[in-house]
Amino acid sequence: CSRLHNRPTISPTLLLSNMYQRPDMITPGVDAQGQPLDPRKIQEHFEDFFEDLFEELGKFGEIESLNICDNLADHMIGNVYVQFKEEDQAAAALQALQGRFYSGRPIIADFSPVTDFREATCR
Amino acid sequence: PSKSKRVSGFDKPPAASGMLDTGAAVTGQVPAPNQTLPNMFAM
Repeated sequence: CSRLHNRPTISPTLLLSNMYQRPDMITPGVDAQGQPLDPRKIQEHFEDFFEDLFEELGKFGEIESLNICDNLADHMIGNVYVQFKEEDQAAAALQALQGRFYSGRPIIADFSPVTDFREATCR
Repeated sequence: PSKSKRVSGFDKPPAASGMLDTGAAVTGQVPAPNQTLPNMFAM
């Protein structure tokens, strides 16, 4: 959607913008070199990413939910939403992620207003 | 548990080449992923 969502000053949920990049992001099912990609490889790639995140973020507190957008459309592409049990855990994670890299790309972290992902669809 | 399989992508810096020459490596900008297919998401 094109709405500007507010960014809360504190929230148990963090948004990591555009963090996940599918191996077939340029053309679905095909890698950057134009070679066809096995769907299992794509799944594996995603699971590795998920595991990395879960491990790293788990250092800051109990993770309530971890949502990764693996869509290919422009909107919210690759966004990661991680909800901690407590706000201060999210704050600690946000602090710790500032200025760091993941797979050669800077991590862009912010608080997100989303606390219930079933209700998170933008209307 | 198999722990040794792979290194985490965390704290993996950008390739040194891209980082030093232009100075434009870290802008927080999101590259358009589908420049090769300009009509794909026409709405």
